[in-house]
Amino acid sequence: MSPDPSRHSRGARAHGSRPRSRLLSWVRHHRAMCLDSALRLVRHPVASLLTMLAIAIALVLPAALWLTLDGARLLDAELEESATLTVYLENGTSEAEAGRIEEALAAHDQVAQTRLITAAEGMAEFQQALGLSDALGRLEDNPLPASVVVRPLDPSPEAVRTLAGSLDAIAGVEEVRLDLAWIERLRYLAELGRRVTLALVVLFGLGVLLVVGNTIRLSVESRRQEIEVVTLIGATHAFVRRPFLYSGAWYGLGGGLLAWGLLTLGSGWLSAPVSALAASYGASFSLPRLGLHGSAILVGCSTLLSWLGAWIAVKRHLAEIRPR
Amino acid sequence: MIDFEHVGKRYGGRFEALANIDFHVRRGEMVFLTGHSGAGKSSLLRLIMRLERPSRGRVLVAGHDIDHLHVSQTPFYRRQIGVVFQDHQLLFDRSIFHNVALPLEIQGVEPQEAARRVRAALDKVGLLHREKALPIELSGGEQQRVGIARAVVHKPSLLLADEPTGNLDPQLSADIMGLFEDFNRIGTTVMIASHDLSLIARLRHRVLGLRDGRLVSDEEAA
Repeated sequence: MSPDPSRHSRGARAHGSRPRSRLLSWVRHHRAMCLDSALRLVRHPVASLLTMLAIAIALVLPAALWLTLDGARLLDAELEESATLTVYLENGTSEAEAGRIEEALAAHDQVAQTRLITAAEGMAEFQQALGLSDALGRLEDNPLPASVVVRPLDPSPEAVRTLAGSLDAIAGVEEVRLDLAWIERLRYLAELGRRVTLALVVLFGLGVLLVVGNTIRLSVESRRQEIEVVTLIGATHAFVRRPFLYSGAWYGLGGGLLAWGLLTLGSGWLSAPVSALAASYGASFSLPRLGLHGSAILVGCSTLLSWLGAWIAVKRHLAEIRPR
Repeated sequence: MIDFEHVGKRYGGRFEALANIDFHVRRGEMVFLTGHSGAGKSSLLRLIMRLERPSRGRVLVAGHDIDHLHVSQTPFYRRQIGVVFQDHQLLFDRSIFHNVALPLEIQGVEPQEAARRVRAALDKVGLLHREKALPIELSGGEQQRVGIARAVVHKPSLLLADEPTGNLDPQLSADIMGLFEDFNRIGTTVMIASHDLSLIARLRHRVLGLRDGRLVSDEEAA
């Protein structure tokens, strides 16, 4: 225990002057604080779980909306596919003539694909869709015209509209129908959903920051004496901050995993009625799942956000703590 | 080791805690700081620890004006100082061993080396057998000795103590002062604030007397 007078000029940094040993002690302290902060959480399981649950709930709503949006995007892609035109031929067009007109339509340079629906086929589809085979079967003449379903090369509304105009001019074509209005409405709806979700992500993200910030503030307050003492004996700010930042990250990790669990449970619970509902409309739509990528993003964002919340709280409250 | 050059300290612009303090403490010296409570002893120690900055004048430690230290340098400066508090400031949620190890942990000393030095410090204050105990299980005098062990475990070149015997009976107080003398004998500069005049008189070291924030006496060791 003999203090060497020459020590003073070099100071107590002598231990840390070798980069390798400084790195080692830094890693050691990180490991110790990572473990210590986890143990502190485990020591108060109910309080920790409540904080994590609050984080999870704040994450579930935006994440669920995000997933739905993802589903809507899929739907949007299908809508693009279904941006087709129905070209009705003049009543009484023979099948051979209908075939020739279809060829003429297919020859148009903006047409990707055509499919001829003869009057008989149209009737069969109609009967099947409505379940009115008996009533329709009694009709003597088939009142339905033959039609050609045309898929345009360019599904954008303007291009489709132009194409409709030029197809209408072809001889033997009675009428060209297109359902652009619905597609556009759905697009606006998807955009609305996107913006609402983004706003909620921002709001609830702030919520997570506040939840973690408040928890860390209390924990800083409860360890005030310890912080004062270690500051007096030469702890750096980084050293003091470290355990709290790890606590924040742990809260976020726990909250993210809980949110993942809630989303998985929720989507399992809802998937049966959603599929049944979709099936009743003759569509197949199932709730999108998080997947590995999405799960990683959810848990990662949660951890990062909570770490950030802890950082802001610690930064603010450590400045208030000055040793007496 | 410590130089005060016309140092003044005002709090809130009005209350003058210290006025025109001027003294020099040599390396390896042991100095008592006396005065009634409120005379400015604690303020003076806080200036040395850089918990406060002087309103006037300069405080030099080891030749450096500590007012010029950057904030990020302050922790490293404090690591050269050992501090003993009247209320010893032990952490009650960890053992004696871990309390004493705290300065070494902060400085990133390798654990085996730290354990060796913690035990040496505890042995010096006669508490090696209590290393696993919690502070609450110790008497006041023992707690103060743990506080001293923590203050010297990193071998500081300057040891400061603020009323280290404030709550102890005369015999324990004398034992504690004996410990400080031991550290001083091996080269540590020691500065102790105390109002226990009869004890100080017996110890025969330099005494700086403060009254109302002014240095009123500077008696060299007899």
